Amino acid sequence: MNDINRRDVLRYGAAGAVTAATALAAGQALAGPKPIPLPLDPRDFDELYKGRRIRGRLLGLGRDELHINNKKLALTAISTLFFPEDGSEPYVAMGYISAINHYDPVEIVEGRNQDCLKKLSRKVVDILGDLELGDEAAKGHQH
Amino acid sequence: MAVVRKSIAAMTSAEKITFVNALRRFKTTSANGRNYNWYIDQHITYFARTNDNISHAHQSPSFFPWHREYLRLLELDLQTVSGNPAVFIPYWDWTGSASPFTADFLGSITNGSVSSGNFSPSWGWTMYRSSIATSFLQRRVGQNASRPTAAQVNTVQSYTVYDQSPWNASVSNSYRNRNEIELHNRVHNYVGGHMATREAPNDPAFWLHHCNIDRLWWLWQSSRGIDTYQPRTGFTSGVVDNNETMRPFGAGRTPSAVRDITPLGYSYA
Repeated sequence: MNDINRRDVLRYGAAGAVTAATALAAGQALAGPKPIPLPLDPRDFDELYKGRRIRGRLLGLGRDELHINNKKLALTAISTLFFPEDGSEPYVAMGYISAINHYDPVEIVEGRNQDCLKKLSRKVVDILGDLELGDEAAKGHQH
Repeated sequence: MAVVRKSIAAMTSAEKITFVNALRRFKTTSANGRNYNWYIDQHITYFARTNDNISHAHQSPSFFPWHREYLRLLELDLQTVSGNPAVFIPYWDWTGSASPFTADFLGSITNGSVSSGNFSPSWGWTMYRSSIATSFLQRRVGQNASRPTAAQVNTVQSYTVYDQSPWNASVSNSYRNRNEIELHNRVHNYVGGHMATREAPNDPAFWLHHCNIDRLWWLWQSSRGIDTYQPRTGFTSGVVDNNETMRPFGAGRTPSAVRDITPLGYSYA
């Protein structure tokens, strides 16, 4: 079973629970004593940006996860106006804010090859400079 | 005592010293049952939706009146803690050339940690509930956004509808939302560092910025009508109506109760 199928099974239903468990068991056997790697979305990433480890997992709107140097950043999805830099008319879209970019939402673009979560993580690293996220950044909230 | 809120460009050296010393004192001394960090707590709490699903402070029509009451309380507490009824919150008109980031006022370091001078830890200013792991106030002035221009302010001020459904950050024809996003948000991002975060009142620039936002709303009210808050009736889901109490402020602290600044004890010069 490839990664995409495993992800879909885990994400979309109890009907696939037995299959998923089988897949996890197989994964565990391959991975030995290490934790089971979680199913990947093609847009998930785990890489370095300006020397910081940025790690994003796409789990669906409002459930996406972001870590910077292993510190969690809670994300809040809001419906908001966006103002294009070229001065064209503003438009409404969903955007993510967090404790760090609280007044500067990053537009959430659906679709397999979009990288909004990576764009958000880069923005946060730029704001942090050489500092780390504090524990407060992991606390989520609703808007 | 009624006070006149001045532009930072018009403040005397003595007024600047009085203001920053009142803030420093309020960091370590309570007044009227509150202290400085109480304000940071309220900003974090009421930025989010409350358990009755109401947005009090941001991305909602009560953005303006909520912060008006928030600033009025702080001004009162600064007067109490310093024993000086003349203390006022100054406004920072960011379309002008006067900067609050000077050694004799909010501190002159604008790129990274405010590690010395006013509002540094050694001066007596500590971070509270910081989402950035640091004990130093952070600023990155001008790195992430530019300041609004006077022309952009005029464009925003020309919107005639106070606010309308769906009463959130997505409304296009709304003075409240245009101001909140195009002016208010942008200046938070212009200052950067802690001003860009949920716990933005850690930076005293928060008060100068919001004082200017309140002044712009007052100017808008002066031309469009003082009693123009929307929504008017008490049954609009998810937002504070004209006669609904704004939390955490006490009973009767409604948008209607703060629509006129004269009874609130201040004016703008």
